[in-house]
Amino acid sequence: MKQLNALEYLKLNKFQRFLYDFKQFFCAIPGWFKGLILAFLGLVKDFAIKIKDGFLDIIHTFVKGNWAVKLSFVIFGLGNIYYGQIARGILFFLFEVAFVVYMFFIPTSVDVSSGLPNYRTQSGLNWLKSVNWFETGNTVGTIQQKPGYDYEYDVPITIPGEDSTRVLFNALLAVIFIIAFIVTWRLQVKQCRICMDITASGKKIKSGKDDLKSLLDDQFHKTLLAPSIIGIGLFTVLPMIFMIIIAFTNYSDVFGSIGLLNGQSELYQWVGFKNLAELLNFSEGGIGVAFGELLVWTLIWAVFATFTNYFLGMMVAIMINKKGIKIKKFWRTVLVMTIAIPQFVSLLYISKMFDFNGFIGSFLYNNVPFIRDYLVANNTNTLWQVPEAARIMLIVINIWVGIPYVMLMATGILMNIPADLYESAQIDGANGVQQFTKITLPYMLFVTGPYLLTSFVGNLNNFNIIFLLSGGGPTNFDMNIPSLEGLVPGHTDLLITWLFKLSTGSGAGARYYLASALGILIFLVVAILSLIVYNVIPSTKNEEDFA
Amino acid sequence: MKNNTSSIKKSGLGAKASRRISNTLIYIVLIVMTVVWLFPYFGIVLESLRMESTGRVDYMIPKEWGFGNYEYLFTNTNFPTWFINTTIMGLATAVLQTFFILSMSYTLSRLRFKGRKFLMNFMLILGMFPGFLTMILIYKIFGDLGLTHANAPFGLIIVYCASSGMGYYVSKGFFDTISKSLDEAARIDGATRWQVFYKVIMPLSKPIIIYTILMGFMAPWGDFMLARFLAAGDDLGKNVAVGMWGWLQATNPSTMYTRFCAAGVTVSIPVTAVFLALQKYYVEGVTGGAVKG
Amino acid sequence: MASVKLTNVKKIYGKNTLAVDNFNLDIADKEFIVFVGPSGCGKSTTLRMIAGLEDISGGTVEIDGVVVNDLQPRDRDIAMVFQNYALYPHLTVFENMAFSLRLKKVPQDEVYKRVTEAAEVLGITEYLTRKPRALSGGQRQRVAIGRAMVRDSKVFLMDEPLSNLDAKLRNQMRAEIILLRKKINTTFIYVTHDQTEAMTLGDRIVIMKDGLIQQVGTPTEVFDMPCNLFVAEFIGAPKMNTFNTKLVKEGDKYYVTPYGAKIEVTGEKATALAAKGVGSQNIILGVRPEHFVLAEAGAPDAISCQILVNEMMGSELHLHVVTENGDKLIVRIPTVSLTDDQRRSLVQGAPLHVTCEGKVMHFFNVEEQTNLLV
Repeated sequence: MKQLNALEYLKLNKFQRFLYDFKQFFCAIPGWFKGLILAFLGLVKDFAIKIKDGFLDIIHTFVKGNWAVKLSFVIFGLGNIYYGQIARGILFFLFEVAFVVYMFFIPTSVDVSSGLPNYRTQSGLNWLKSVNWFETGNTVGTIQQKPGYDYEYDVPITIPGEDSTRVLFNALLAVIFIIAFIVTWRLQVKQCRICMDITASGKKIKSGKDDLKSLLDDQFHKTLLAPSIIGIGLFTVLPMIFMIIIAFTNYSDVFGSIGLLNGQSELYQWVGFKNLAELLNFSEGGIGVAFGELLVWTLIWAVFATFTNYFLGMMVAIMINKKGIKIKKFWRTVLVMTIAIPQFVSLLYISKMFDFNGFIGSFLYNNVPFIRDYLVANNTNTLWQVPEAARIMLIVINIWVGIPYVMLMATGILMNIPADLYESAQIDGANGVQQFTKITLPYMLFVTGPYLLTSFVGNLNNFNIIFLLSGGGPTNFDMNIPSLEGLVPGHTDLLITWLFKLSTGSGAGARYYLASALGILIFLVVAILSLIVYNVIPSTKNEEDFA
Repeated sequence: MKNNTSSIKKSGLGAKASRRISNTLIYIVLIVMTVVWLFPYFGIVLESLRMESTGRVDYMIPKEWGFGNYEYLFTNTNFPTWFINTTIMGLATAVLQTFFILSMSYTLSRLRFKGRKFLMNFMLILGMFPGFLTMILIYKIFGDLGLTHANAPFGLIIVYCASSGMGYYVSKGFFDTISKSLDEAARIDGATRWQVFYKVIMPLSKPIIIYTILMGFMAPWGDFMLARFLAAGDDLGKNVAVGMWGWLQATNPSTMYTRFCAAGVTVSIPVTAVFLALQKYYVEGVTGGAVKG
Repeated sequence: MASVKLTNVKKIYGKNTLAVDNFNLDIADKEFIVFVGPSGCGKSTTLRMIAGLEDISGGTVEIDGVVVNDLQPRDRDIAMVFQNYALYPHLTVFENMAFSLRLKKVPQDEVYKRVTEAAEVLGITEYLTRKPRALSGGQRQRVAIGRAMVRDSKVFLMDEPLSNLDAKLRNQMRAEIILLRKKINTTFIYVTHDQTEAMTLGDRIVIMKDGLIQQVGTPTEVFDMPCNLFVAEFIGAPKMNTFNTKLVKEGDKYYVTPYGAKIEVTGEKATALAAKGVGSQNIILGVRPEHFVLAEAGAPDAISCQILVNEMMGSELHLHVVTENGDKLIVRIPTVSLTDDQRRSLVQGAPLHVTCEGKVMHFFNVEEQTNLLV
């Protein structure tokens, strides 16, 4: 479409401008994705160049290096030891030894009582051999447990097999170990190169003591980041990769936690994209129907939850901050109580309060005729059992929960708006409402753009409110999806609460494979929405507007 | 609004009078809000003191008053265990999480190193995955290590803290506001980066440290999803949220309802006290975090 | 008390943003050197490279003959005063000044002695127990200087130390820095964007633009013999007038022909032109506002113009005038040289005839904008 210059744009009236902006916005969408792809390609290119440079460096090191450096291509740390960095060299060497032992020499563990292998530990190589990466139809792990017979004691026994979860997890560890091995190899070759260069230039090589000292100084970031990175790696990245892989299997936890403790094991299969395809199967009776309906409600919920809170919270902040309003601190503290008191207490209580047996629920039923008529027409006695009513109540109660947060934040920001902006607006003839729409609101939107984004994403995944208030109910009887059995999402379930139900099973057996596939889809939804919102909020576009 | 002549013409009221009317309206709204916001808390306190029945009733004021429900909590239920579990988790999380978050946010805010941008983007994207998914593997592994069921609180402490570095945003926003030339001046004065950290920046960061501690302490009281998963139904491994949630499920609402209220009050008092005492820092954190992104 | 030597110093930000390039400078022991230039010229970056706050992308920095490229700031034995003072808000003035000594584990007696001595010199003794936020801008500035003084370091770096102060305080502090320098007597490197500060403080001035050194010299040198048009316009206030014109050689004599006038080049300038064997050519002529003098109407060397604005500064008049072809010039005339009648006649719109002193003109090459005489 035609780009207008600044003067042409100013000629347009309000409606034409809106239309123009609207068109511009949607025409820009392909641009963002193009930008993303280009950025990604750029990264790939940079990476390729780095690899190339790395190889050249390695070759150079090998050609120019002395015997110790050349040997350290096979025996880790030899170069470092040669150049006097004993501690470092020994660490490198120990790592290599550990790797070799882990990879090849860990014996398969044996059950003490039966003397049979129970496959709790194996060498890294065995795990890797066993896992059958992504071979559709094949099992994760190869040795199935089977019934056997103990002739000595004349009893039937179970001959242990491999457990898929354990196999997959250990195979992942082995892959990580291999990557670490390669990185360490490269690192110590690089160290040799650095030592060579330093020696050539006639300077002194840093000692182990210097290395340790620098961890509190120019390498301080390594010290500070190490615990966090290890924590995130072990408890977020690794399980996340595991779960993404699970989405390509049919893992549903047959034995549950009890089985695992009793030493039973199960093998599950690689199924390729079957789970994702099932989740996106929108035909009659397919799980996609449930997913689609849930996605729509999740989006509606997130939009309403975010914006009702935002605007009402801002109003409250403005009211409390208005000149002439007394005991400001009291009003604020009343609201802050909601933040202080653990949500599960207040939310569970409120949920029960509105139930038929709760006193508000019964009050409404007995004393408000139109509500009673409405409930009777829906064959129930509580608002939680009527889909639309339950949804509206969730949004309303969420206002109760959310206003205090926004109020606090808005209070801080309102105080930061320069008073002369209002003074000059008054002199220009703006009344109270105009001051709000022309100054307060744009300023707030500008400053709180990032907050809006995070709170929108937070609401997409707002587990507590839904789960504690409605528990996802009422049950959706219209949705007939045979393959889901007891796990059909209720009328107020969000994607995240459904995910919780799928992975805890709630009586119908956990569906980890579906939960994992759903998790991937949730990620995609959140990522795409974030990208869009990020490009819309003013803070990122016109950074200097209010600076 | 000193000489707003146009409003005089329109409404026929003086500026003072119109302000008085609008203030009165605001007071009415605020009073209504106060009632609505405090109502559930009054309700829960009143119901916790109700002695004539333990189920739900359609009136608010108890007919028979007493502390029987509280007594029952501490004599006949696992509530004390849950309460201790949660308190331990709260304290441990407050300490450990503060350590993780501060080190991460300080590094990202004030130190420049290779891969900084990558790390931030990586954590941003990682944060878009539903975190709950990690629990399935963690549950399995913790099961092997004996950190589930009755020992779930210890497992949960690890889960809450290990990845908490990803929640660096608010405190990074705070650190970003401290002038960088302070670091530079200190480094020229002879400080190592470690000395800059603990001699210059930490003394200036009291508000954000308290905020982070407060958030860490509050987190286990509100967590439901992870806690329920790791406890796996074992009563001794539950936190208060999971345990008390069970009381309101289908099997026992009529016997446990007033006791739930009593437990709710018991839980709320210490947490609310801590929170209100440190409210100032919380407000600073919320405001700063939102503005800085 | 040390010399500083920069050889081919270079700074590249990111992939290819060149902030400083080819910076070569020898700073003698106890010299007061000023880096001056417009914002973004790389002067602060250079200073920060000397301090060790920025990595050096190329070349070497030596302090006292030792290459310090890879040394941490604390190992370079330097002191620095920052533009925004960078006082530690949580420490008292005393502890602020003692901070570096504490890190070095200097005994308390010695700390007390050095800090109180410095405070005495700066006149901030009574504030030693206060926190920085209780001080005014000028006092904070003194504390910042004091903090650097107690270090007793080899090199004293100052990064625009006066630019956060108001005009009056700035003048006062400038004078104090001159006095201070006599007392401390060490090597100073001072960064500023203000040419007045540069001229009044520096033994030598380094003028920078776009990351490159334009000229290094004493204040007199850069004022009298700017090596290019940029330096000529940057040093001196109000700034030098420049106009495209012709340099004409007639026999032994040189003339310039601005706006139809014909003015003879005299004195050393004429000798220098002759010695260089410069021929007739198009040039950019530079004339400082104070080097214009009033001329008779119709005289051959008179440039006729019209007064746009008359700024009465007290001791002198700044006349903004426009020539017949629309160029704008600034003419500066000492009030004392004018009769009352003349002063009354110099009103907006009045015609004015000026000529310029032949011995203080500057001639610049049209293409390279370099001084013909350098």
